[in-house]
Amino acid sequence: MNAIALDPEPASLEDGLSAYLSALWGGPTIVENLSRIPGGASRETYSFDVVKAGGERRGLILRRDPKGSLIDTDRTTEFLAYQSVQGLAPVPEPIVLEAGCGPLQRPFFIMSRVDGGTASSPFAPDPYAPHAAVLGRELFSILGRIAGADPAGMPISRAFTAPLLDQCWSRELDYWEEVIYRDERHPQPIVRAALRRLRQNPPPPAQKLSLVHGDFRSGNFLHDGQGRVLAILDWEMAHLGDPLEDLAWCFDPLWSHSDDNRAAGAVPTDEAIRIWTSESGLEVNPQAFGWWRLFSAVKGQGIWTTSAKTFAEGGHDLVLGFSGLYPARRHDAIIAEQLERLVLVEGWT
Amino acid sequence: MTPTAPELLHGCVSALATPPAPEELGTFFAGKVALAVLVNALAAQECATGASVRVWENRAIRELLAGADSRYDGRLSGALATSKEISDGDYSLANLDAANAELRRRLIALHAAAEGHGDALLDRRILALYREMAERRMLSLPQAPTGSDPTSSSDAASLNSCA
Repeated sequence: MNAIALDPEPASLEDGLSAYLSALWGGPTIVENLSRIPGGASRETYSFDVVKAGGERRGLILRRDPKGSLIDTDRTTEFLAYQSVQGLAPVPEPIVLEAGCGPLQRPFFIMSRVDGGTASSPFAPDPYAPHAAVLGRELFSILGRIAGADPAGMPISRAFTAPLLDQCWSRELDYWEEVIYRDERHPQPIVRAALRRLRQNPPPPAQKLSLVHGDFRSGNFLHDGQGRVLAILDWEMAHLGDPLEDLAWCFDPLWSHSDDNRAAGAVPTDEAIRIWTSESGLEVNPQAFGWWRLFSAVKGQGIWTTSAKTFAEGGHDLVLGFSGLYPARRHDAIIAEQLERLVLVEGWT
Repeated sequence: MTPTAPELLHGCVSALATPPAPEELGTFFAGKVALAVLVNALAAQECATGASVRVWENRAIRELLAGADSRYDGRLSGALATSKEISDGDYSLANLDAANAELRRRLIALHAAAEGHGDALLDRRILALYREMAERRMLSLPQAPTGSDPTSSSDAASLNSCA
C-alpha cells in the first residue's frame, strides 16, 4: 500500500494519474487514452495507457471507489486477491493500491490491462458458442485449482480471520441475513423462508478452507472468443470459506443463460463437477451442494436488495436500478423453486 | 421492494441528463444509453402488468390467511381474521404495494408459525403460493432490435458486473 502526497485537486483525472504515477515510478509518466469503461457499480473502472520516460508503453486499469457503492466491498480485499492467485489463475497483475483520498479524490488501485478479450453479458443467449464447451472446461478447471489451493500463505489471509470448517456456512448466512433484514424496503417472504430453512438444515463442515472468489460466474471473466479464458475478474467479494460456495454460485440459474443443463451456460453440469473435483481433489457432497445452491440464490437476493435500496435512495446508477429489479425477480423464482424441491423431495425440515 | 416504475424512469432521466465527463464519452456513455433503453423496457412491463399481478397476489394471500387453521389466529393476535379488511384502495400501484406489504408481513408470520408446529400441509400450500407469486412477478428481457443487442454491446460489462 502506498501513500504519495500530491496536489489533492488536479485539473483532471488524467493529470492526477500522471502526477501520481510519475511520483510512484520516480520519472515522468504520460497518461494517454484515458477512458471510463463499464465495470459495474462497485468501482469506477478506467482504461488507460502509460508512456514512461524511456518510451515504454503499457496498458493499465484504474479501479476507483465510487461515491456510492453497490455492496460493502473493500478495495484492499480485491487487491490482495489478485496478488494471491498470481500463477494459480489467469488474472491481471496488481500494480499499486492507494487507500488515501488524496491523489484521485477517492481510494483506488491500479492493475495491468488484459487486452484482446471480452466479458460476455450473463443475460445474452449462448454467448460462448461455438467454443462454449472448451471454455467451460477451462473455467471449471481454474475454479478447481483455486478451490484446491492452500490459502494459508496467500496475501489475502492477512485480511481475514479464518473461519472454522464447521462455521463457514453460518458466517456467510449471518452476513447476508443481516444485509437482507437491514436493506429490504418491502417484506420478502420467499427469501425469509429460505433463510429459516438454511439455518434449520445446515450443511456438513467444509472439507477444507479455500480462497473463495465470491462472484465466480459467467460474465466475470475475459475470454478471447475462441474458447480461452484470459482473466478472472471482480474479486472484491473474495474471502476464506467453503470451496463449494464458489461452485454453487457459478451453477446458479441466473448465470446459466437460460440453459439449466449447462453450468455457466458453457459446459454440462455433470462434466463441470467432474472437472472441478479432478482439479481440486475435493468432493461434491449432494447435501452440502444443495445447501450452497440455495444459499447462492439468497446471497444474490441480498445483493439485489441492497441495489434496490441504494437506487431508491438517490443512487440513480442504472446498474443499481436494473440489478434491484430483474435479477431480484429471477432470484425470487429460483429460491421458490429450490425451496419447494428441497422440502418436498429432499426432505428438508 | 424492487424499484418502482417511477423510480426507474426517474433514474433513466437522471442518467441521461447528466453530462458525461470527457473520459466517459465513448464506451461508457454508449453503455449507459443502452442500459436506459433496457430499464425503460422493464418499467413498461411493470406499468402494463404490475397492478393485475399485485391484485392477484393480494387476493391469494388474503384467501390463504383467511383459510388457515383458526388455532394460528390466536398466536398471531388475530392477524388472520382481520386480513380480509386490508384494502387494495384505489388500485394504484402505491396502494396495492401498501396492502401487499401488510399481507406479506402476516404471511411471513403464519409461515414461520406453521414451520414451528410442523404443519406440513400448510407449509406446502405456502411454498406453492411462493412459487406462483414469483412466477407472476417475473419480467422478460426485451429482444434486441436487429443490429443492436443491449445485452452484448457496450453495456454488457455494466450488467454482468452488477454485483
